[in-house]
Amino acid sequence: MASRFDVATVVMICVSVVTGYLVLPPLYSVIQTSLFTTKLTGEIDQFTLRYYEDLFRELQIIGPFLNTFYFSIGSAVFATLLGGSIAWIVVRTDSPLRGLGYFTAFASFGTPFILYTIGWLLLLGKAGPVNYWLKILFDQTTPVLNVYSMFGMVLIESLLWSPFVFLMLAAAFRSMDPSLEEASAACGARMWQTMRRISLRLMLPAFFSVMLLIFIRTFESFEIPALVGLPGDIRVLTTSIYLDAQKLPPRYGSAGAFSVLLMVVVAATLYFYFRLTREGDRYQTVTGKGYRPTLINLGRWRYLAGAALLVYSFVLLVLPFLIILWASVLPYYMQPSLEGLGKLTIKNYVTALHFPKITDAIKNSVLLGLGSASFVMVLTLLASWLLVRTKIRGRWLLDLMTTLPLLFPGIVMGLAILRFYLFVPIPVYGTLWILLIAFVTRYIPYGIRYTHSGLLQLHKELEEASYVSGASWFSSMRRIILPLMTPSFLGGWIFIFLLSAKELSMSVLLVSPQTPVVSVAIFELWENAQVGELAAFGVIWTAILVTVAIIYYAFARRYGIQQN
Amino acid sequence: MIPAIRGSRWSLALLAVFAVAGLARAATVEEIALMNRADRQKILVEGARKEGKVTWYTTLIVDQVVRPVKDAFEKEYPFIQVEFFRGNTERIVQRMIAEYQAKRYEADLIDGTVSPTMVRRAGLLQRFNSPMFADYPAELKDAQGFWGATNLYFFATGYNTRMVKANEVPKTYEDLLNPRWKGQMMWSTSRGSGAPMFVGTILGTMGNEAGKAYLQKLKLQNVAKTSASNRQVLDLTIAGEYPLALQIFNHHAYISKAVGAPVEWIAHEPATATINNIGLGKFASHPHAAMLLVDFILSEKGQRVYQQSNYLPAHPKVPAKQVDLKPGGGRFKRAFYINPDQQYDKGNDWAEYFENLFMK
Repeated sequence: MASRFDVATVVMICVSVVTGYLVLPPLYSVIQTSLFTTKLTGEIDQFTLRYYEDLFRELQIIGPFLNTFYFSIGSAVFATLLGGSIAWIVVRTDSPLRGLGYFTAFASFGTPFILYTIGWLLLLGKAGPVNYWLKILFDQTTPVLNVYSMFGMVLIESLLWSPFVFLMLAAAFRSMDPSLEEASAACGARMWQTMRRISLRLMLPAFFSVMLLIFIRTFESFEIPALVGLPGDIRVLTTSIYLDAQKLPPRYGSAGAFSVLLMVVVAATLYFYFRLTREGDRYQTVTGKGYRPTLINLGRWRYLAGAALLVYSFVLLVLPFLIILWASVLPYYMQPSLEGLGKLTIKNYVTALHFPKITDAIKNSVLLGLGSASFVMVLTLLASWLLVRTKIRGRWLLDLMTTLPLLFPGIVMGLAILRFYLFVPIPVYGTLWILLIAFVTRYIPYGIRYTHSGLLQLHKELEEASYVSGASWFSSMRRIILPLMTPSFLGGWIFIFLLSAKELSMSVLLVSPQTPVVSVAIFELWENAQVGELAAFGVIWTAILVTVAIIYYAFARRYGIQQN
Repeated sequence: MIPAIRGSRWSLALLAVFAVAGLARAATVEEIALMNRADRQKILVEGARKEGKVTWYTTLIVDQVVRPVKDAFEKEYPFIQVEFFRGNTERIVQRMIAEYQAKRYEADLIDGTVSPTMVRRAGLLQRFNSPMFADYPAELKDAQGFWGATNLYFFATGYNTRMVKANEVPKTYEDLLNPRWKGQMMWSTSRGSGAPMFVGTILGTMGNEAGKAYLQKLKLQNVAKTSASNRQVLDLTIAGEYPLALQIFNHHAYISKAVGAPVEWIAHEPATATINNIGLGKFASHPHAAMLLVDFILSEKGQRVYQQSNYLPAHPKVPAKQVDLKPGGGRFKRAFYINPDQQYDKGNDWAEYFENLFMK
């Protein structure tokens, strides 16, 4: 085992150096931003605690704090319930239409964020089709449903996150030990008892990961609150941060202070989580005894499950997508009607395809997606292996370091990277590499959650058997761990691929005239163009992303299964 | 030549050395920018020929106007290549400042409603002189020559013509206080092109006291706020979500109406106007070409390119393509110009006033 320990040390050093190089400079910037005022030139000016004082004053006002809390907890719970149920149906049951789950997840997550939100606003808005039918149904003259409300915020945010939950929990469900469930069934437990007392408990790490990520991301998000909550006068903690950032010169101190505070909270959470899963053996479901979980026979209920899948796809994908598609073929937006049918046009598609450097942008975005997804997954797989398999002291710090980028405000991180590579003589400024570095840093936290919960499920006996048989560390990694991790690895890869296609807050700063990317092009359309042109562009882009995701998924799954 | 040194070989040699050195010492960006002599054009052309290109950081829409300007300019000066980088105000400013600090002088020119001012406050903008300044009134150029106006934006109220009858259309700011519009209006929180500019116009034209009294009353109308741009606010009005869209660009309403959307605009007197302006970087790498491009953009010829692209030219002699989008074109008479310095200096106050009054 001595050589294995050496490998662990080498891996630890490599992973820590790479992660530290990526994470620490922006971390330094975030903390600095929160403690100093900045000059117009971006140089730091004077030390101040003002941003923290403002933040604590804001925290004392109960309204925004409660709103933020309800919004985050509501979205985390609802998204987990929704994505988790669908994942269970798709992976564990014999329900019809199971392929639909993956397609829906890819396609809905591939839709540009802004467009997806606007689609929902148009759908659920006062003048939208949902209210139109509700008014008729309930015989009302005023709109029945108010989308500009906490309900609307939670609904749209959870729908946005449910593909993430789906991909992650589908991976976890796939690696379930059937013998424990069978034992439970043999002892006379009913299906739901087995679910509650065996299956769901085994899934604890995966559930924790999912809820933690969604809770944090929602807590610090301002997009949905500003687009959906603000018109209904719902204020959250990030509202004032968002307003501060558009002052001139831009004030990012409050954003910095907010994220530093969140970091402290998250560090504490992670520490306890780490202690909780230290006895990780409890969650090991993939053993040498064969682990393919049996499909649960739902009997008559399978049609209900199939119907649930249909409804899910319809709500998550078809509804908003139809609205977007509808908007994309109209000269100007109007509610779905016969009148609109008479005005259909492909003009918006022509405009979208003539967008300057559109093919370059698509190529760059796809390349960046492939690159950052692959790099992040490999890096975090190694990091997770260190966290789960070795006993190196202080490794929870690595866990913390890989989670922190989740809390960096995108704009502060983008500025930090911009400045870093302008002054450090590494010639990546103005190239795609600087974007790749930024994306990899940003998405490490997602990779670590996927691989960490996936690896917790693998019993170490599999790896030990490999070593005993004389395999080196590298070939054990390649031939045992990686194939068994295929579900988590793939889920994480696709999620990051789709996520990086949307990245905006750093990209707007880091792109150069020679390296256009799609998300920035979409942002330009969002600020300046009509909804139809934006929609046409979004439809084209979603189609490309989904195609790439499906090809990769089909290819990699086949490869992974053959390895087994 | 000069008699005193004739005959002295040494002096001649010395003179030659000075002459060569004088020629070799390139003029500074400042000298080129402020040049005001008869052969200015000739010197600029010669210098630009060597530079070969100019880089323009812009907030304008590439396909609509930047590319047409580039094409027209390159036709006039085929030996100069115009390169551009487009982004929103804060981004291009942050980028230009960070690059300049790292001594990467990529940006020659920068435009926007407030971007040149930000660069100037960072001490990185160069004053310039252009013969075209003579054509512009005082409010459309900087007294010290830090910027010139390229095009104008006028704000108006957009309304859905199916939801607002002709006789109901709110004509004045006071009309917006009609109870009929309570909960029926939407505006953007954008500092540079949303509600804060409305606040600035009201305080600036009605005076502080009357202005604040007016805004207090407007607060009771529950205007819906969104972080969406004013283009999107207008689209929501076209979709029927809110009958009235406050503080939208009048040319956006015009463009939508032209393709058949049920929308119309009305300006309240005086209408808010902001000025898109262009400035020269202090360490511009291509100062000769940059000055030629500035001259071109401010000239009548360059302004016609803006006009044909449906932008509202700043040049007093160049009307808008759709004439009534500019004041005096028949639909409204007066505009309240918020110049870049006011926008920069008072914008935060207006934004904060807006937040404290409308968002608490």
